[in-house]
Formats: sequence, structure tokens, C-alpha cells
Amino acid sequence: MTDDLTTKTTTTASSSGVKVAMQLKDVAVSFNGRTAVRDATFDVAANRVTSMIGPSGSGKTTLLRALNRLHDLTPGAKVTGKILLEGVDIYGPDLTVTELRTRVGMVFQRPNPFPTMSIYENAVSGLRFNGIKKKSLLDEAAEESLRAAALWESVENRLNVAASNLSGGEQQRLCIARALALKPEVLLMDEPTSALDPIATLRIEELMSTLKQQVTIIIVTHNMQQASRISDDCAFLLMGEDRAGELIEFNTTEKIFNSPIDSRTLDYTLGRFG
Amino acid sequence: MTDLFTTITTNDALRAEIQAISQRGRNARLIRSRIVITLCVIALAIAVIPLAALSWEIIVKGLPVIKASFFTQLPLTPNLVNPNMTGGVSNAIVGSLVLVLYSSILSVPVGVLTGIYTAENENRTASLIRLMAQTMAGAPSILMGLFAFALICQQLGFGYSALAGSFALAVLMVPVIVVATEIAVRNVPQTLREAGLALGAKPHKVSMKIVLPTALSGIVTGCILAISRAVGEAAPVLFTIGGATLLNWKPTDPVSALPISIYIDAKSQWPSLRAMVFGIALVLLFVVFIASFTARFLVGRQQRKS
Repeated sequence: MTDDLTTKTTTTASSSGVKVAMQLKDVAVSFNGRTAVRDATFDVAANRVTSMIGPSGSGKTTLLRALNRLHDLTPGAKVTGKILLEGVDIYGPDLTVTELRTRVGMVFQRPNPFPTMSIYENAVSGLRFNGIKKKSLLDEAAEESLRAAALWESVENRLNVAASNLSGGEQQRLCIARALALKPEVLLMDEPTSALDPIATLRIEELMSTLKQQVTIIIVTHNMQQASRISDDCAFLLMGEDRAGELIEFNTTEKIFNSPIDSRTLDYTLGRFG
Repeated sequence: MTDLFTTITTNDALRAEIQAISQRGRNARLIRSRIVITLCVIALAIAVIPLAALSWEIIVKGLPVIKASFFTQLPLTPNLVNPNMTGGVSNAIVGSLVLVLYSSILSVPVGVLTGIYTAENENRTASLIRLMAQTMAGAPSILMGLFAFALICQQLGFGYSALAGSFALAVLMVPVIVVATEIAVRNVPQTLREAGLALGAKPHKVSMKIVLPTALSGIVTGCILAISRAVGEAAPVLFTIGGATLLNWKPTDPVSALPISIYIDAKSQWPSLRAMVFGIALVLLFVVFIASFTARFLVGRQQRKS
């Protein structure tokens, strides 16, 4: 472990006795043979917010999308290393890709509610895709997930209105509700506030701090202040010499921002580059 | 001190010169811009005047012909006693409706499914189909008529029939629908597909429940444009439908169509029948106008949504 620290300066949460939701072991993603991100080894602690920070091109989003196998769609994309969800290899035979994606939800950079569906239909869309038809169950899930996304009060009386009528911030919260309706264990958030104004951003951030009681959150963010405000653990990535992103340091957010081990982490968090 | 002073004065002189030159440049650009705008207006007039004149002629000469009997009666042949006995064009109206209905049944499912295939697949088959659709979209429409005549009327022995005409029109419509569907499906943002997959949806569910509904107004628009093209086509139906003067509707019956009625009446020796042409043209123009208007409305709605 000490050896690991000196060479790669990563720590694992498992050593401190916290429950682990996901484990990344030497994960690398390449497209047509070109490595986009590599050397990602860290544990994602359950019921905490883990942020991934780093400048553009450091592979944050690429790494995040490996966690729900969204790269499966891209021809030429290859993920190596091990990614475990509660100890099970997500690229292995014991977990189908559809089951994985119901257990690991995702919120995208720009709010992307389904434009042809109502607010209600959006909220329950994931359940419908997975074959749940029982009205009472859907109603219950819709209310619960919209409440969890702090959207219920404002949409309660217009559930059948098209989702495109909502504001950007509301749409993003609807997308969070849509993901939560499947009761995922992990929620991946890819710069979820980059298209939102400061007030809407604040509401999403507040939401995340309550949500982590029920779901483990992994968030990619460009915004260092946001990472320091909301995350418990933090992974810092940087583009290497060969333009491939790599994990520089993983630790609690407090340590990353106050006493980082790697000097490059310090330079980045102090705003000397990036 | 003197050096600095000289520098400043030279700079002033330089600035004045730069300003003078750029002023000349601005004047020259202004003149060029006015010339180009004038040319644009002239070109616009050349394009619009014949169109407006045509529409005006059709409206002015067509409106007096259109009465209730125009829509309800079968065509009659005038004679020396009743030179104005023209009847109506109900056979052509019903015929055109029947042709549109059957050709849509034949072309819409094929066109839409093919368009979805070419949009969602990036392989040799897809690019071959795309190439064929684009080539067919530009093929002369009389070839479709010839093809249908040879295949349906002669080879399959249906003779002049609504089926043969619908088939010819469907061959004409399919490429239009394929291209429109492909564009509409491709315009569905990738992030919506990803959102569906990220919710654990299987790829075919993503296609059916997310992509298709989102692309629907674009697909419908393509179908309407194909129909509005088909309804005005004379060549493909000229020697396939038989031009019946009866209210036929069965696929195996010969029928008439609005463009065919125009063709027949325009050749007539009776002035009263030749006058009918403008009424039929007005009906045709109206149908096509309504179709394009609906299509534009749907496109606009789709664009507002996304």
C-alpha cells in the first residue's frame, strides 16, 4: 500500500472500512487503438459523492461512460482492466448490460428528457423499458422519484404536460428523477450543471447532498469549486505526454484540495493551469 | 522630445490616410452590395412572376367552373344541342383519392422501414439502398408508368387498373419517403438514444419508443410531400389506370385521376370542356397547397420542439 502511494498516489476506500459500491482496477479506454484514458484505479465508496476533475481531454467523461458500458455502442472502443459493481465484473458474464444500466443510472451533460413524452411518462420511462406495466406501481414510482428529485411540488398538477415545457433546471431534475425511478445503486452524472444557470446549479447541488443517502454518486465536473463543495472523494485526472488521460491522484476531496500528494494536483486546484 | 512629437504627427497623418482608404473601401463595398441586392430582386421577380401569373390565371378561370355539380357529377360529353353540358369530375376526384390511398398503402410502410434501416445502419447494404433511392428520386416519372404497365397490366394481367396506377405512383413515392425518413431519424439527437440505453432499454425499444416517435413528424412530412407529388403526376398513371368515366374504387377497376382529366379535357373540341381544365387545375393546386402547408407546419413544430 505504501509502495502504491509513492508510485501512483492512490488510496482505496476499502482499507478504511467504508462500504464500496464500485471498484476500478487499472481501467483503460481506447478508441481504435488510441488510448483515451488509463491507469484508473480507485474505489467508489457507497453513499458518498465521488467527483472526477481535470482539464479538458483528461478522460473524465470517457472513464465515466465505461462505468455503465455506454462505450459498447461506439465501434472501435475497447475497455480494459476491471470494473466491479458490488464485486461483480460489469463486463463479465454474470451481469447483463441492461441489468447493469438499471443498477447504474446516468444523468447527461445537457438535459435530455424524451421530447415526445409527458413529464409522467419521462419519469417512468425506464420502468416501462424494462417491462413494468402495472399502473399503481408506475404511479408510485413516478411520485417517489419526482419527490426525490425535488420536482414533485412544481409538476404535481401538470404531469401530463410535455417535458419540453419545463425550464432547463427542471428538465435536468426530471432526468435525475427518470434515473432514480429504477432505484439504481450508483448514479453517474456527466457535468450535470454545465448547461444550467447558477440558481439551477445550486438546486442540483443541494439535491445531490440529500440523494447520496440513497444512491452513490459519481460526478464528472469541470468546475473545481463544485467538486470541492459537493464531493466527499475526488479523482484528479490529467492528460499525459501522449495525449491520453490518466489518473494522477485519488483521495478524499478534503485531502485533494488541501494537502495533495502530487504537485500537479496542487497546481491544478490552485488554478495554475487548466 | 522632438522625436516623440514627430512620431505622433506621422501617426496622425497615417491614421488619416488609413481612414481615407478605408472610407473609399466602404463606399465601394456599399455600391457592390447594392448591385448584388438589385440583381437578387430581379432574379426573384423572374422566378415569382410566372408562378403568380399562373396561379392567378388558374384562380380567375377556375373559380367560375367550380359548382356543386363539378364535385358530384360524372363527366358528360357536350353536343350541338347542349354545348355546355360538361357534367363534373367526380370520377377523377374519387380516382385520385383511391390512387393516393392504394399507393400510400404500398409505399409508406416500405419507404419508412427502409429509411429507418438506412439511418440506423452504416454498412454496404445501407449505402447501396441510399444510392438507389437517390437515383430513383431523380428518375423520369414516365418510366414508373412504363414499368407498372409492363409488370401489372401486362405480365400479371390486371389490365388498366387502380392497382397498376397505384403501383407506378408508389414506386415514385418510395424514394421520397426513404430519404425523408432517413433525415428525420438521423436528426434525432444521439443523446436521446443514449438516455434510453442508459435506462436499460434494449436497442429495439430505443428505436421504437424513442427514436421513431421523435422522428415521426419528419416522417409524416415526407409522406405528405410524396403524396402531394403523386397526386399531381400524370405520366405514371397515363397508360396504367385506363381513365374510367365511372365511380370506380376497387383495385382491379380502371379509374381516372385529376391530371388525366386535365389532359383529356384540354384536348377536347368543346370550349366548355376546355374551360373545365382550369377548375380541375384549381382543385389540384388547392390539394397540393394544403399538403405542403401541413408539411411545413409539421416541420416547424418539430423544429420548435428540438
